Amino acid sequence: MSAPTTRERRDGHNTGAHNTGGHSTGGRLPPPPTPQQRALRWIAGGSVLLALVAASSIGLDLPTLIAGGEDVASLVERMLPPRVDDPARIAALTLDTVLMAFLGTVLATFLSVPLAFLAARTTTPHPAVATVARGLITFCRAVPDLVFAVLFVRALGLGVLPGVLALALHSVGMLGKLFADAIEDADPGPREAVRSVGVGPLRELLNGVVPQVVPAWVSAFVYRVDINLRTSVVLGFVGAGGIGFALQDALRGLVYPKALGIVAIILVVVAAMELLSMAVRRALLAPRNPRFERDRVVRFLSGGAALALTVFAFVRLGIDPLALVTSVPDLLAVAGRTFPPDLTSLGPVLWEALLQTLAIGLVATAIGVVLSLPLGLLAARNVAPHPVVHAAARTTVLVVRAVPELVLAVILVAAVGLGPVAGAIALGIGSIGFLGKLVADAVEEIPAGPAEAVRSVGGGWWKVLFAAVLPQSLPSVVGSTLYLLDVNIRTSTILGIVGAGGVGFLLFEAVRTLRFEVVGGIVLLVFVVVLLIERLSGWIRAQLT
Amino acid sequence: MQPDTVQPDTVQPDNVRPDTVQPDAGEPVVRVRGLTKEFDGTTALAGVDLDVARGELLVLLGLSGSGKSTLLRCLNGLHRPTAGEVTVAGTRVDRASGRELRRLRTEVGFVFQQFNLVGRLTCLENVLIGGLGRVRGPRYGVTTYSRAMREEALAHIERVGLADHAYQRADTLSGGQQQRVAIARTLMQRPQLVLADEPVASLDPENSGAVMDLLVRVCAEEGLTVVCTLHQVDLALGWAHRLVGLRSGEKVLDRPAAGLTRDDAMSIYRHVEPAEALA
Repeated sequence: MSAPTTRERRDGHNTGAHNTGGHSTGGRLPPPPTPQQRALRWIAGGSVLLALVAASSIGLDLPTLIAGGEDVASLVERMLPPRVDDPARIAALTLDTVLMAFLGTVLATFLSVPLAFLAARTTTPHPAVATVARGLITFCRAVPDLVFAVLFVRALGLGVLPGVLALALHSVGMLGKLFADAIEDADPGPREAVRSVGVGPLRELLNGVVPQVVPAWVSAFVYRVDINLRTSVVLGFVGAGGIGFALQDALRGLVYPKALGIVAIILVVVAAMELLSMAVRRALLAPRNPRFERDRVVRFLSGGAALALTVFAFVRLGIDPLALVTSVPDLLAVAGRTFPPDLTSLGPVLWEALLQTLAIGLVATAIGVVLSLPLGLLAARNVAPHPVVHAAARTTVLVVRAVPELVLAVILVAAVGLGPVAGAIALGIGSIGFLGKLVADAVEEIPAGPAEAVRSVGGGWWKVLFAAVLPQSLPSVVGSTLYLLDVNIRTSTILGIVGAGGVGFLLFEAVRTLRFEVVGGIVLLVFVVVLLIERLSGWIRAQLT
Repeated sequence: MQPDTVQPDTVQPDNVRPDTVQPDAGEPVVRVRGLTKEFDGTTALAGVDLDVARGELLVLLGLSGSGKSTLLRCLNGLHRPTAGEVTVAGTRVDRASGRELRRLRTEVGFVFQQFNLVGRLTCLENVLIGGLGRVRGPRYGVTTYSRAMREEALAHIERVGLADHAYQRADTLSGGQQQRVAIARTLMQRPQLVLADEPVASLDPENSGAVMDLLVRVCAEEGLTVVCTLHQVDLALGWAHRLVGLRSGEKVLDRPAAGLTRDDAMSIYRHVEPAEALA
């Protein structure tokens, strides 16, 4: 028994030595790193250090984390068992929330389509128009939806209308960009053919471009409904309607079992919407169906359903379609009062809050990476040691994804108290739903060859992981992490609305005290920070590919 | 471009009299004088003259980049000439307004090398697009067209031999079938002139013959004038009434096809000076 083992070990050792010999030109003495590689290493090392500094700056350390864990555990104990006190009212609020998400996305689509045609390089009447349109789209993306909501509630009063409008305006940031990208990707051939039959520019776009981009547009729309549902459940926190209102009520009244019941309902609804949206998008990408009649019936029915749902949403939410137009002057009036932006009257408090926002985003991303890497690996079908592990990890990711970050933040504030620690932990946990999924997807997409090669030379699960899986998925994981940082910093600007630290608190206070120039200043700062982070992560991602 | 248009082996364009073919000798459908087109400093066409009589089937030959496609696109105003006169069906294309151009285009069919169908739409919907120039207002989807137009479109689809595929998505058809749909779309325009830009270059030899055959047959039946670019000399000699050769944006051959040998036609491709070929 022992003899073969020794021989195997020796053989293995020999093979290893031989391999090293074979690669000796580059194996032991790697070529010196290029300046870009060196810069990337500095950035990598620097960001770890920065995350640690940021953590200590917001008072997050190991003892706090452990104590926080205990606090959360005791809060959850007090929340159990969840209950739903007034099912009829909760059901009505849930329905309202879903309809708000849907209606906001519909309105965003109507705004985005013309904007996308103006912004797309291939259809814009003039490059300057395209630049302006792209700028508007970027602005809508950079201002968080809740910031729009807070401002609109001020302008129009409490209710669902400001919430729907806020969702719509922020969604233009994503839909406008995706719609314009689809237009730019469209084949110019059919357009030329339509022009050659002698029609004007509008019908050229309608008949030559629109049929090509419809699948991409519908897919973006469905995806956005999904995202907006997550936001619409928290709109109630700022008085913009929906189930978030009931949740905040329950938490303020310290009726924790009721709060957990509402969170459970939110979780189910969001998860159901995610599954629905995945199914719809898969059906859109399905292999083309030569049987036109069935295709047409499906298209006709889904179009009719969308129209009916839109009408129902207007009626049920009690929104007068005319109000969409008549409210514009009020909105513009409030927007006008944010000029000129005031950056000075708050003094150093503003800059401290901004730094805290950045620190929360950074720490949350670090927590997210630490939690998501193992979970994401276990959630990948080709890495999970057992299908049950895979299923459990995937479910965990899906469940976390279904809880909006702000809901997590509210719960953590209730558990560990007001402040940036609650915000950072909430965002960090929330990151699992985002990064865990991306890691799992990236790992599932890597080619199976290298892993097989490691297995064929006798490598076990850990060796396969470190020699084949991680090196192959690293670039994509780093890219996703940068994107996560982007998202987390954007979200951390609004955490203050629920008392979880950062610049959002000042923003909310400024709105409450009607100091709109200060609001303008903060929004401007957020806009600049988000743009800078986007540029930086774009540069790093470009270096990686 | 140097003005030395004198080539020993080409026929000068003063004898443009298609006397061996049936087209009527009245007012030409296409009349081009001194057509020049430049793209950002590069000259695609350098002073081309061309007349096409009603009912004539004219084939443009030449290397890629010799200006054939540019010439076709100047005829229906998809490109605006840099200089020169272009008159098509009585309209001065070179100085037409947007509205006049659109009206002209409703009467000029265009068949593309890449078919340019909207892949996601059915054959019927693609063919109906050909009738858009005739109707006002936006149309999207079969049901927005009148019953008469739908019936006409179905008749055209039947004529190109695809009656069984009318309700099939265009991108599920083979290349040859897609080009047939494109021809049906052109017929739907009820054109008097058909411009075809390498209509068979993306097809295999067998389909090339079949599609060319279809295009020539329907155009002859309808008495349409055809200007077609090709790079298969044999196909050109078989179908054309007249051949026009372009090289580096200049006309280097213009002769009736009857009596023209393959070597005559191939002369367009030879005599390319190395410097020119590399440029």
